[in-house]
Formats: sequence, structure tokens, C-alpha cells
Amino acid sequence: MLQGQHLPLWAKPALEALKKISLVGPEELSCLGSAGPPRIKRAVDKGQLHPSVAMERAPCLELYLDQCATQDGLVPALSPLFSPFVPYDVYTPNPSNPEMTLESHLEEIKETSDDFSSVDLIFLPDELTQENRNHTVIKSQHETEENSRTQNHQNKLPLLSKQDVELGFQGSSLSNPQAHLCPGPADSALPSPENPSPHTLPLSIAPMTPVAPASECSGIVPQLQNIVSTVNLACKLDLKKIALHAKNAEYNPKRFAAVIMRIREPRTTALIFSSGKMVCTGAKSEEQSRLAARKYARVVQKLGFPARFLDFKIQNMVGSCDVRFSIRLEGLVLTHQQFSSYEPELFPGLIYRMVKPRIVLLIFVSGKVVLTGAKERSEIYEAFENIYPILKSFKKG
Amino acid sequence: MPGAGRCPDCGSAELVEDSHYSQSQLVCSDCGCVVTEGVLTTTFSEESNLREITYSRSTGENEQVSRSQQRGLRRVRDLCRVLQLPATFEETAITYYQQAYRHPGIRTARLQKKEVLVGCCVLITCRQHNWPLTMGTICTLLYADLDVFSGTYMQIVKLLGLDVPSLCLADLVKTYCGSFRLFQASPSVPAKYVEDKDKMLSRTLQLVELASETWLVTGRHPLPVITAAAFLAWQSLQPAGRLTCSLARFCKMANVTLPYPAASRLQELVAVLLRMAEQLAWLQVLKLDKRSVVKHIGDLLQHRHMLVRMAFQDGSAGMETQEKEQQRQRQRQRKEEVGGSTSGSLPGKRPASPALLLPPCMLKPPKRSCPTPPISTVTGDENISDSEIEQYLRTPQEVRDFQRAQAASQAAVSVPNPP
Repeated sequence: MLQGQHLPLWAKPALEALKKISLVGPEELSCLGSAGPPRIKRAVDKGQLHPSVAMERAPCLELYLDQCATQDGLVPALSPLFSPFVPYDVYTPNPSNPEMTLESHLEEIKETSDDFSSVDLIFLPDELTQENRNHTVIKSQHETEENSRTQNHQNKLPLLSKQDVELGFQGSSLSNPQAHLCPGPADSALPSPENPSPHTLPLSIAPMTPVAPASECSGIVPQLQNIVSTVNLACKLDLKKIALHAKNAEYNPKRFAAVIMRIREPRTTALIFSSGKMVCTGAKSEEQSRLAARKYARVVQKLGFPARFLDFKIQNMVGSCDVRFSIRLEGLVLTHQQFSSYEPELFPGLIYRMVKPRIVLLIFVSGKVVLTGAKERSEIYEAFENIYPILKSFKKG
Repeated sequence: MPGAGRCPDCGSAELVEDSHYSQSQLVCSDCGCVVTEGVLTTTFSEESNLREITYSRSTGENEQVSRSQQRGLRRVRDLCRVLQLPATFEETAITYYQQAYRHPGIRTARLQKKEVLVGCCVLITCRQHNWPLTMGTICTLLYADLDVFSGTYMQIVKLLGLDVPSLCLADLVKTYCGSFRLFQASPSVPAKYVEDKDKMLSRTLQLVELASETWLVTGRHPLPVITAAAFLAWQSLQPAGRLTCSLARFCKMANVTLPYPAASRLQELVAVLLRMAEQLAWLQVLKLDKRSVVKHIGDLLQHRHMLVRMAFQDGSAGMETQEKEQQRQRQRQRKEEVGGSTSGSLPGKRPASPALLLPPCMLKPPKRSCPTPPISTVTGDENISDSEIEQYLRTPQEVRDFQRAQAASQAAVSVPNPP
């Protein structure tokens, strides 16, 4: 099918990779002639341009590729072709610097032309794509880790945005991409992939972890300290009876109109109201909060009430972490006045109200940061990744 | 047609508002019957065509100035006069109070909160004009609790969406030091304690700048730092007679309340000065301590920028050297235990590396290390064993005992003490 046709330069590594996974035979590869963008090729054919010089005209290649892209609307598809490392360019509504991407990718091709096994298989029929998806995923993971350590990915900086992190959590069926980015202290607090995304990726691209260059990644993962959740037991409760029959309950109607119950594992406290609503606090993770709420419901059940477990919802999550350098709060309040509130007469920390995501951060001079107001774990991580570069800019007093 | 009335004559609903010689009337457009007229009195039949709504739903509430609002506005004016603020401040504060009063949360708040709101409006006005007024001063004047004040202040700033600049430290130093009663001899202030205002002010300012540069001000209440700086400045201007005077006595003499943290700020400031003194050759030989360093504060302040740079290393680089230091110390300790102290390879005393320029809270060793919790593999859907739940329930016997105990304690409480 490819006989007599000259393929553009960018297709060659793709075909080499395909050959590796034995989808493309050697005869198809041989048809690759002196590949190059049509203009350069024509110039070379006419003898106006020496072939070696033609290779240096890399910028022309981008223009050619842009042309191709506009012609067949495959701009997103091109980027994964070059790099297994930035798949989420696909989702950015505004691929801001496609030329820069391609340029950097081109450099990479020259360096690591062997590593393109995790290639965009969009050209192939679906069944083949499906088989090789796992294949490529595993390979790409290894490569990501290797390459993030050996290579310099600074060119990829402008392309990654906050959206990437979000998408990383929604679209990826792998565990936290950040774990791959910054091995080390992150390992201890990896979030478990609890909710496999119900919707698959729009394009049939192997899910790959995005790499943020070392300068952008903070390497610190906030630890969850407290989860507040509510659940509806859906039956009227007799608080006096609960307080009488349960050892771990306290009830003082004059002080507060609810029973305060505690369990040891997971170490939590619950407020149980006579309407049947319950608030569970003190858990360190969402799953622990849910387990604890179920245990309280079971206690209430055993006391003879027809308790159910409806509308379990996490209402608030609190996390904390340490950036390990001191922060000039006076400077921060000057530059970010619309978000910050710093009143040393009242409170030693700076209160930063982030708009997106809607999280309140307490920032202290010692570098400790407390994040609160989240409904999802990802909001805390996102908020911290947003604040870290801001704090770093205030590092030097 | 508002009022949904009907003409009593023909029953039509077509009522039109018309005016007859500037008196507005409600007239039926079919038969011309005047349904209501006049503003002063209304007949019973006219009133059925009027629409009556409750006061809270009418706009009367917003248009009138209620008595408590009037009282609040008067309090704002009084407070501005007591603080001797310029006239423009008064107008701004009044505006803020009126704006705040429009919000239902403020209108229905308790009197205590409205009282504190007066102070908040004045404070915001002063901050915006860089007039150094502390919250403590306002709370003292209003006899208010700082907790209530802080809650109301944060709420009102958020509610009105105001940009409140930070307290201006330099101006605060000037006004606060100006309030010290040390500039004239009096029965309580002996002659040797009297000081020139300008000299003391300038030196206090320099000390406060030094404190702010060395992380002693960030996150802390500004007033104790200024008190400590003023005390050091005053002492250093004539150390001979004043070294024996304590901070408490100084504040009493100056007729200023001593803030509690001022003593610890003083220690921190003196420690910084001592570190700086170690870098000056002619002071190194003197082996200064926290008292004698006061005599040389003048010299230290003169070269403070250079000395701070020399005496302290950058915090970030410092963290690594601090860790290396600790490692070296541990290794040295181990060597000592194993090889005895007579080995000549051990260095006697290593020269002190530059101290870290970090806030004091980062320099102190952590009280307790917080280990990262082990990764829990809880899924939230595990089975809950009955025995686990049973442990939280009382046995019937325990329930009976508990009830008996409760009844007994209640009886003991309800019986009055025998006369």
C-alpha cells in the first residue's frame, strides 16, 4: 500500500515502532525514500538543495506538519506520535505552542528514535489498538520513569496546564500520575485509584502519565488530616435510649441536641441527631470515613432502630503539608491582595482563598500549609500545586 | 394593575391611577367612579383597594434610618473624635457603617456586634489611609472582646469586599513611641532616664527594621516587637545608667502597658544582635553577653546590612548545612564513644558556621516528629463483625447499674443542702 509513495519524515519513526510490534513488515519500511516535506524534497530533486542541508531545515517541517494538521484536523493526534510523554496535549482546548512541541519532539526523535513503541495507534483498526494498549501502557510507564530522570523536559512546560492534572485523575486508569513524576516522599501517600473513570478517553490513545518537568513539580503531596461526612439513617432516633445503651456515647441535651459517639477503629467521632442525620468526623481518608459511618449506623441498628445508610456524602476535607522553607507573608499579601488576608494581630498565618479550586489555605511563616474546604481529594492536590510556585517566589527573604 | 381592586359601582377591574390637581386618585376607566382619593385619610371601602403588606416586605425598612443605626452612626462619629482623626475619616467610616447595615446579617445582629462594628468601620478607614491604629486600642476603647472584634472584622471585610492594606509598621513605631512618657523629666522619670524623642525614634525604627529582616516580625503581633526595640534603643543611648533598668520598669515609667510577648521578643532581638557582634573584629575579643551587647548597639546598627549578610546564611542553603552539621555531630559522638576522647584526629572545637536566617519557629527543634501514617488499605465496604459492634454496647446488667447510678446522682443534686 505504501509502495511508490514517499512518506513524510515524521512517519518514519512511527513505522519503525510499528515494525517492532510486528504490525508493519520490513518491505513497507524500505519504501521510505529521502523523506522530507514536499517543498524541501522538490528542492532537493531539482538539485537546488543539498540533502544534508534539507535536514537542517527543521522549522519548515513544522509548517508542513501544521498544513497536514489543518488538512486532516489531526493536530492532537500528531503530538502523541512524537512523544509518549505528553498525551494530555490532546485535551488542552488551545494547544498553545504546537510548533514548539513539534520542535522539541523532533529533537527527541533524533535522540531516542528507539523508544517509540508507545505510538499513536490511531491509524490502525480498533482491534489492534485494543490488543496493544496494555502493551504500550506498560512500556510507556517504564520509559516515562527512565526518561524523566535522564532527560530535560523543559520544553514541555508551557503545554501542561492545570487541566492536565485534572484530566490525569479523570482519564487515567493508572494510579496518581504525580507518583511517576516525583518518586520519593510521594510514595507513602499515594491515593488509591478508587473511582475508575466511567467515561473512556475520547481518542483511542494509550493512557500515559503526563510528565511535568522537575522545576514545576513540587514533589510534596499534602496529607489528609480530617474528613467530615454526613449520612442519613432515615429513621427517628431516641437519643436518650442510645445514650443509655451505648458505652461510647455522651448526651447532654442542655449543651447540645445530639449524641456524641466515638469508635476506636477508625478513630472517629460522630454526632447523631434525633432526626436520623449523622455527622462523622476525624477520619484520615474517604474510605475510612465511609467505614466509620457504617459502623456507627450498625451500632444504631443493634440498638433496635431501623437504621439505613442513605446519602453518604463527604462534606469537607482538610489536608496539610510542609514546603520546608520560610515564607515572607508580608510580601505575599502585597502581591496577592485580592486572595489573601494577613492580620498578624489576630492570627499568625495568612489566609489565602483560592478561587479555582475553591479552597482556603492557611499559610504560615514556617512553610507549613493547611488546605481546607475541599469536597474531593484532587481539589487539595490541585490547590497545593497552584500555591507552590507562588510560595517559591517568596522563598528568598 | 396593582391593588387588584374592582370598581364598587360597575365591578370592572379596569382601575387607572390618575391625578386630579396633583392629588393622585384611583379611577375606574369604565364608569369614571373615583375609587380612592386622598392621601391623608382613607375610607373603609377605599382601603380594600389598597395593597397592604408587612413592614419587613416594604421598602420602608431600607429608606428609614432605624434607631439602632442612628445610635451606631453617632458612636462612629464619637470614636473618630476621641481618636482625633481627620474629618474625611469620619465620612468614610459612616459610609462603611451604612453599607454594612444594609445587609440583613448585620441588621439582625446583636447589639454587642453592632457596637463592635463601629470599631471595625473606623479601623478599616484608618488602615486605608495608613493611619496606624491597632485592634487592641479600639477594643480597649469599646470595652470589646478581641475575639468578637476579630470575628466581626473578618466578616465585614468579606461582606463589603474591601481591600484593607496591612498595618504600616513605621508609622506605628512613630505613634507608639511618641506615646512614651520619657521625653520630659517628671516625678516618676529621673533625669538620667529622660531621652530625646528623635534619637530614640530613629534608633527604634532601625531596630524594628532589623527585626523584620531577621524574621522576628512575620506572623507576630507588631506591638511587642516595637516595645522590645524601643527598650533596647533607650538603653543603648545611655547604657551607663540604664542597663540596670528592666523591661517591666521601663514600661511602667513610660506609662505604657507591657505586652506579654515583649520579653521573648527582647531575647530574640538580643540573640540576633549577638550573632551580628560576632562578625565585628573589635567586638569578637570582648566576648559580649546579652547585657553588654547593648552598649554596642549603635555600632551594630550602623553596619547592620553587612553584618546580617555575614552573620546569617540563607535559610534554604542553611537547611542542608544544618543537616550535615547534625550528621557530623552524630558521627563525632559515635567516634567518641568507640575510640575514646584521646584520639588526636578529633578536632577540638569546630568554628561555628553562620547561623541560619530563619524564623524562630523553624530554628527550634520540633516538639514531636509526625511520622507519615501507614498506607491504609481500607476500602470502606468491608464487613463489620458483630463482635466489634458489641464492644460498644452495654449489657442489660450494665444498663441497670447505669440507670441506678444516674438516679442516685440526680437525687443527690436535687436535694438541697441541709440548713
